[in-house]
Amino acid sequence: MTETASKRVAKTLGTLGRASGAAVLAISCALIVVPLVFMLSASFMPALDIVKIPYRWIPETWKPANYVRALAGNDGAWMYLRNILNSVVVSGAIAASTVMLSSLVGYGLAKFRFKGRDAVFMAMMGTMMIPFETVMIPLYLIIIKLGLQNSYAGLILPFMMNAFGVFVMRQYLVTFPDEILDAARIDGCSEPRIYWDIVFRNSGPAAATLAVLAFRQQWDNLLWPLLVAQEERMKTIPAYIVKFAAEKHADEGAMMAVAAIASIPVFVLFFSLSKYFLGGSAVYQAGKE
Amino acid sequence: MGARRRVPGLERERARWGWRFVAPGIVFFSIFSFYPMLNAFWTSFFNKKLLSLKSPDFVGLANYVRVLGSPEFWNSARATGVFTLGVFIPLFSLSLLFAALITGLRRGRRLVQAALYSPAVLSSVVAALIWLLMLDPRGLANQFANFLAGTPGVDRKWLADARMVQISTMIVYVWKYLGYFTILFVTGMGKIPESVYEAAMIDGAGPFRRFFSVTLPLLRPTTVMVTVMIVIQCMKTFSTQYLFTQSGAPSAPINVITLNIYNTAMRDLNIGRASVMSTLLFMLMLGLTYVQLRFSRRGEDDL
Repeated sequence: MTETASKRVAKTLGTLGRASGAAVLAISCALIVVPLVFMLSASFMPALDIVKIPYRWIPETWKPANYVRALAGNDGAWMYLRNILNSVVVSGAIAASTVMLSSLVGYGLAKFRFKGRDAVFMAMMGTMMIPFETVMIPLYLIIIKLGLQNSYAGLILPFMMNAFGVFVMRQYLVTFPDEILDAARIDGCSEPRIYWDIVFRNSGPAAATLAVLAFRQQWDNLLWPLLVAQEERMKTIPAYIVKFAAEKHADEGAMMAVAAIASIPVFVLFFSLSKYFLGGSAVYQAGKE
Repeated sequence: MGARRRVPGLERERARWGWRFVAPGIVFFSIFSFYPMLNAFWTSFFNKKLLSLKSPDFVGLANYVRVLGSPEFWNSARATGVFTLGVFIPLFSLSLLFAALITGLRRGRRLVQAALYSPAVLSSVVAALIWLLMLDPRGLANQFANFLAGTPGVDRKWLADARMVQISTMIVYVWKYLGYFTILFVTGMGKIPESVYEAAMIDGAGPFRRFFSVTLPLLRPTTVMVTVMIVIQCMKTFSTQYLFTQSGAPSAPINVITLNIYNTAMRDLNIGRASVMSTLLFMLMLGLTYVQLRFSRRGEDDL
């Protein structure tokens, strides 16, 4: 009897604990989302309403013209449209090349035996420890020497692949069944065709995760475009945002419209692929092996 | 006989294909990682100026002496250190707490994780920009702080006061990455076998005891990884500080090392001195990675 009583007490305590835990989480989630709601609501307000005390979450006067101003810029040159296109091109190209090159190199490291293979692998992994800030100036000098400032090539080249991508693809391809590869060889399939038709076509999940990560990372990159793309028409979204916000007559409502426009594509990407990020991401799993 | 002779040839042919597949990687990393790394190290011994046609002079350790003797460098080192510590403590403990709470949740896990993660989806620049407006003297941050403290009309000088602007950059960072590290912890906790908890429960361990005696020790590989990730990321922080200083915040308190490298190279055009700081940053990171490797090895031995 005492046992059932103590069990009941433990159960009540457990329920109470869970309930308060859930309450803490609910409040925290609400607080975390506040700045995002602020961005959206402020993007439809005249600048003066954004600093009104108390803040009105639903705009009293709607000002969708903020979005026009955001796209047209303070100088009316419509440079944001071009800069968004730049971001899409650069991030997209980097995502594609990262997947292609990483899978090629990862395949070579995973499925072929040759002298010095482990040394090559270790050396590549070692580059993960080099902070970009350390190499950015020499890289910038290389780009100047090649005459690639203010060009897509200059923005893309240094990020065409990375050690993390090689690692992920190698780990993924190590488990690829050798029997299939040998069978293809016996059938007289050439090595490049084996890679392309059999290996690459079957690395979907790892390639997709890697592509999303590379795209996302590049979408966020500010430092490199700041160095390489100093001309307005070659800037990417983050560089445009910094410039727009620092301008003298920048309108706060338009600033939030700029921010909202920059965020929409990544939010769409994120929520359509949320299972990769929230269910314990595939890449994280690969990183643990 | 014939077959035996063919096998070494075949192996050599296969090895050659291995090299061919790996070759693009070797070329890429040589040009875009190893060469620049060595170049930065090399340049740190020259008084090289950006865009100068004069060939740089070898100055030995003079750049190192100049940098290590300048108050501006130590100010940057301190700003980076303060930022790292000020982010690490709340970010680590809050994400661990939230992960523990989420693991105990019966329903709505996905929703909570998505909400917590949503700021991580934004660009760093966008995150900083949103906060720039909220931290305005008449903005939401003051209204909220005054509502909590019951002090209407007080301006906390989020972007003007030296100490407050440091705190503001920390807030942006913790807010942005909380969900990311929470999810790493949730994943780590998911790998702890249920049977261990059941055994602890039979032994009469309460929820707190279970957390500190079971979850934390078994979570060690994740905690080590998260610790090093936060520290390395914080030392490389750039966007928030850059946007804040560009928009008129005082620069000295948040002149972190990456911002200093950028300004030394691009504004002062002094590549030699920027390379010194780059080299020092690299050595610091190398040390941290070594620490991580040692600790994670020891963690494996324990298990």
